[in-house]
Amino acid sequence: MGFFKDFLQKQQRTDRRIADESAEPQEPSTRSLSDNINYILTAFKRTEDLKVRILKKGEAALLYFESLVDQEKVQLSIFNPVEIGKVDSIHAIPNAKESTNLEEAIKSLLRGHAVYLEEGSRQISLFNVTSVFNRSVEEPANEKVVRGSHDGFVENIMININLLRKRIEHRDLKVKLYKVGKKTNTNVAIIYMEGLADPEIVLNMQKRVETIDSEMIQSPGYVEEFIEDSPWSPFPQMLNTERPDRVVANLMEGRIALFTEGSPTCLVAPATFFMFYQAPDDYNTRWYTGTFIRLIRLASFIIAIGLPAFYIAVVSFHFEVIPDDLITPVKASINEIAYPPVVEALVMVVIIELIREAGIRLPSPVGQTIGIVGGLVIGDAVVRAGLISNIMVIVIALTAIASFVVPSNELSTSLRLLTFPLICLSATLGFVGLIFGFLLITVHLTKLESYGVPYFAPVAPLRLTDLKDTFVRFPIFMMKKRPKDAHPMDYKAMGESREWKKNEQSKKS
Amino acid sequence: MKKLWIILIISMLVLTGCWDQRQFKNVKLALSIGLDEGENGALNETVSIPTVRGGGEGNIEERIEILSSDARTVLDARNQIDRMISHSFNPSKMEVLLVGEELAHKDIYPLLDNFYRNPNSNLNTHLAIAEGTAREVIEFKNTGEIRISEYLKGILEGAEAASRTTGENLQMICAELVEEGEDFTLPIIARDDEEDTLKFNGLGLMDGKRYTGEKISAEQAPLLMLMTGRKGRTAQLTKKVNEGQEEPILDYITVEVMKFKNDLKINPGKNEVKVDLTLDLDVRVMEYPHDHLVSDKMIKDLNKKLTEILTAEAEEIISITQEANSDVFSIGRRIHAYHPKEWESLDPKKMYQDIQFNPEVNVKIQQHGIVN
Amino acid sequence: MSSQKNLKLSRRQYFFLIIQSQIGVGIIALPFDLHSAAKQDGWISLLMAGMLITVLMFFLWLLAKKYPDKDYFQIQEYVLSRWGGKAFSVLYIGYFACVGILILLLYSRMISLWVLPNTPYWILSLMMVAICIYIVCGDIIIMGRLYTMFSGFLIFMVGLILYSGKDSKLIYLFPIAADGWGGIFAGIDKGIISFLGFILALVVYSVVDGNSKDKLKTIIYAQLTVLFFYLSIVFVTFTFFSTKEIALVSEPVLYMLKSYQFPIVARIDLFFISMWMIFVTTSLSTYLYMAGLGTRRVLQKKNNPFIILLVGALFYLLSLFIGFDIAKLEKFSNFVVKGGYIFSMGLPLLILFISLFRKSPKKENAV
Repeated sequence: MGFFKDFLQKQQRTDRRIADESAEPQEPSTRSLSDNINYILTAFKRTEDLKVRILKKGEAALLYFESLVDQEKVQLSIFNPVEIGKVDSIHAIPNAKESTNLEEAIKSLLRGHAVYLEEGSRQISLFNVTSVFNRSVEEPANEKVVRGSHDGFVENIMININLLRKRIEHRDLKVKLYKVGKKTNTNVAIIYMEGLADPEIVLNMQKRVETIDSEMIQSPGYVEEFIEDSPWSPFPQMLNTERPDRVVANLMEGRIALFTEGSPTCLVAPATFFMFYQAPDDYNTRWYTGTFIRLIRLASFIIAIGLPAFYIAVVSFHFEVIPDDLITPVKASINEIAYPPVVEALVMVVIIELIREAGIRLPSPVGQTIGIVGGLVIGDAVVRAGLISNIMVIVIALTAIASFVVPSNELSTSLRLLTFPLICLSATLGFVGLIFGFLLITVHLTKLESYGVPYFAPVAPLRLTDLKDTFVRFPIFMMKKRPKDAHPMDYKAMGESREWKKNEQSKKS
Repeated sequence: MKKLWIILIISMLVLTGCWDQRQFKNVKLALSIGLDEGENGALNETVSIPTVRGGGEGNIEERIEILSSDARTVLDARNQIDRMISHSFNPSKMEVLLVGEELAHKDIYPLLDNFYRNPNSNLNTHLAIAEGTAREVIEFKNTGEIRISEYLKGILEGAEAASRTTGENLQMICAELVEEGEDFTLPIIARDDEEDTLKFNGLGLMDGKRYTGEKISAEQAPLLMLMTGRKGRTAQLTKKVNEGQEEPILDYITVEVMKFKNDLKINPGKNEVKVDLTLDLDVRVMEYPHDHLVSDKMIKDLNKKLTEILTAEAEEIISITQEANSDVFSIGRRIHAYHPKEWESLDPKKMYQDIQFNPEVNVKIQQHGIVN
Repeated sequence: MSSQKNLKLSRRQYFFLIIQSQIGVGIIALPFDLHSAAKQDGWISLLMAGMLITVLMFFLWLLAKKYPDKDYFQIQEYVLSRWGGKAFSVLYIGYFACVGILILLLYSRMISLWVLPNTPYWILSLMMVAICIYIVCGDIIIMGRLYTMFSGFLIFMVGLILYSGKDSKLIYLFPIAADGWGGIFAGIDKGIISFLGFILALVVYSVVDGNSKDKLKTIIYAQLTVLFFYLSIVFVTFTFFSTKEIALVSEPVLYMLKSYQFPIVARIDLFFISMWMIFVTTSLSTYLYMAGLGTRRVLQKKNNPFIILLVGALFYLLSLFIGFDIAKLEKFSNFVVKGGYIFSMGLPLLILFISLFRKSPKKENAV
């Protein structure tokens, strides 16, 4: 069935591309200046930020969007050469692009180019005088590291690619640019290491990007939903990051990065579940520390989705599980609570989400206040009022903290969402329900694929050598092979890098 | 499609309700239960139920209800208690089960049946015999501890650490309860009204499923434990080794067992079973006010004395068990296991009393603290 | 998906598939069953049953080796001619369905006894069937991956069981063979039942990567691993419980764990039974897969989730007829166990025998 679907889609796609190409508008310029200007003005619906500068006493005109161009650049690249006398006319300026197609002129006007037209000539000169406003390449606020590089991607796709090229000075780094979104014409770049990334996956990704038939492309999140494998899955199947070092590391593992103009977020595919738990920090610290922190992070996964459910199963089904010495404290804390534990948990989870959501949108001083008011005041009052037991507050707070430990915001939100079904299951069937829930999640994770690559690798399918960088982080010189899950074409990542040690020893003896 | 029906199932589950929910806040936990013989063969059950309140706010206040009822069976009694209390009665976190002396003289298995049968019951429970009635023990007020169950549990766990009891829980007793040729001991808890305390008062010897009424005193209990091959965290023995010193206190020595090795050799003969019981003890002197542990001779002397005294005591212990016909060394089971032919010719009920024991305790002082 | 279509099972996955299919519902009651037949010598019966099965596996391997690119149902069609094979396949589907239903019944009964006494049968089994359908709707490769992952829990289970070994008394294993060998031979029967999932090794043989010799090794290793796992369970429970006592408890493994308490949690049996559920899921999935595969072969359909759904629903609906009814369950279980001998041992050997008179398969273009 899937095969037929693929087949049909392929046909549709090729059809459309042909149609698109034939529909590429062609409008030859005329010799009349006013006709040309008129055509352009009408095309832009006489928008008022389109400036028409009449030159040579009405013999020529320079058109540009005042809002898009940099006045200094106009002066520098168009008028200066003429004034200095290097060239006779503006048409003769060598860095201009020539064309006779008015439609093309319209397109380049939108890109921030200036269009120069002359009476009695069909020639159109296009000058790149775009003004660029960029913020500096600061460290992304949501992916901070203690040690390591402190730059991050910005909204400009070229600067982003620049950041990558600076880090990978190799001819194999390949960039493919696409214009996606019929109206917005957003630049989308697919970047990969040729000869390292699996060509099949690259082709697959290109195919999917090309098929996007949308008027608008806003952000990578937008693109992600178009091109990911299972949009119904709660788990993100592409890694979101704003850190160049993270992208570079992934590119060197044979993965593919996708940028969108106007957003600092980069999508990395094929992604695996455990990638979301790797942070650049792991590789900047001693490997013991890296391993320890990573284990804590993975434990946080279990806590984040399972702890409230487990607690509920215990207090409403299997309280025998509580050890003898703990039984009276627990009993004391929940004895007077009016609501059943499920309600308690749901209320508490919702409160935490409210506090979090309120805190994000507000400026940081106010956000902190919200945190304090929400966390401390409400938390305390709710216990004093006897609405929620203090153990439940501990459980939910722990859960929330655990979910924030995940280095990826995407996954962290998914995890918090997954708590709910598990809570419901364990509130109906106790441990049995909880196990069913966990089974469902693991089966789902095992079945999930990101670009034909098993999502739960290297645990399922099990690959012992790749576990070196999954639950633990081995010393870097021991990870001689790239992880298999990205299907790299060349598995060898490094040779014997600590040869010097052997040399030294042999010298000594 | 798949997702759809998964969601469907989940929502269905949520809607259909929860069959087995037992809210923890809606149960009354019985932490200690006492069983006594009532009038006309009835059963008298005493339970202690802590009521806790004021959870979120600092101190946990606790009230203990002690209820008692007469009934035919354990569960019947429980139902009667259940009618007396708010919420439902739940014994699944029971910490101590006491059986009154009189009741223990009968078969105790029927009393335990429900605890073995119910999947929720706590098998990790201490079982003890109460001297007098269990009710008296559970009703004891001046505990010092908050709860009587905690007090009782503390006494029994302390006794286990000091190698005075086996520390076996309800489950482990079961094996010895039903198996032929194997008997066990139960700790005895007594109420001391003069001192106003409860105390561990020796090991009650069981014969089959009945309490024989014979007991090993608390002082001798560690030696019995060592003879059966068990040792808690410590095992101390205080013995009189001198005569007629100036002060009586100088007569005594206290040693702690560092290492021990026990060996049972069973020689089933035609008419008679002979058992050699050897116990080698490496001990450390804990208290010996007499001092002067300098010379080798002195230590050898002490070794010899201790060996003699302990061997004599071991003989005494064995004779008590034989009198009670309580095969605490599982000699019967051993004969069955290793000499199945001889076993068939023996009377499993009576054979223990006819065994010829030959106990031998060897003591060696290895350390004597940090003074001589 | 595309890159995964033609993936074959790795031998490691094959290994865990075999293990997981065998270790299932039975482990909790296995010591009791053995004990009821052979008393304290049950472990000898188990050992003998394990050896017997290992030898049998060798014959199954011989059969599978002869037709390396056909699954078991296709072999039947080839060896017994088209319609004969189909008839056999239908019988097999019936058998697999029966075993699946039995697993479902036993599992629900156990959960009802130990954890959720008031929850109705239909909900417990529905959840289980749903998960299994979800698993089997993937592919055998997905199952291989899952089973490999779930096998991690074996370590926990063995750990828990060995932990309770600290209170075991070796004396309870003696006297050995006191009541003669009759009981021990009777116990073999009980032992074999716990190994019955091995037929999977034959069914999925054709999709496993590697040459036949390596595959045989894998099969044998898997078989021995299962045997050792069972033996460890039986040893520990037999020495933990006294000979008389074990006759009283029909789920000795859980009963043993029930009496322990760790500082963090009490009632270890609840955690054990939760882990055990995972193993039930895998073995039920295996039978669902085999029944589904058979149906597909008989109807000559491609891999279709709808068939699995249908077969799963059939498992569920049929099992509702028995539910918690212990008398019917006993009868049914006896019936299935007898069938186990025919379908897991008799018929494969028969087919092997017939295939000796058949030529080896020609290279066929399309199967």
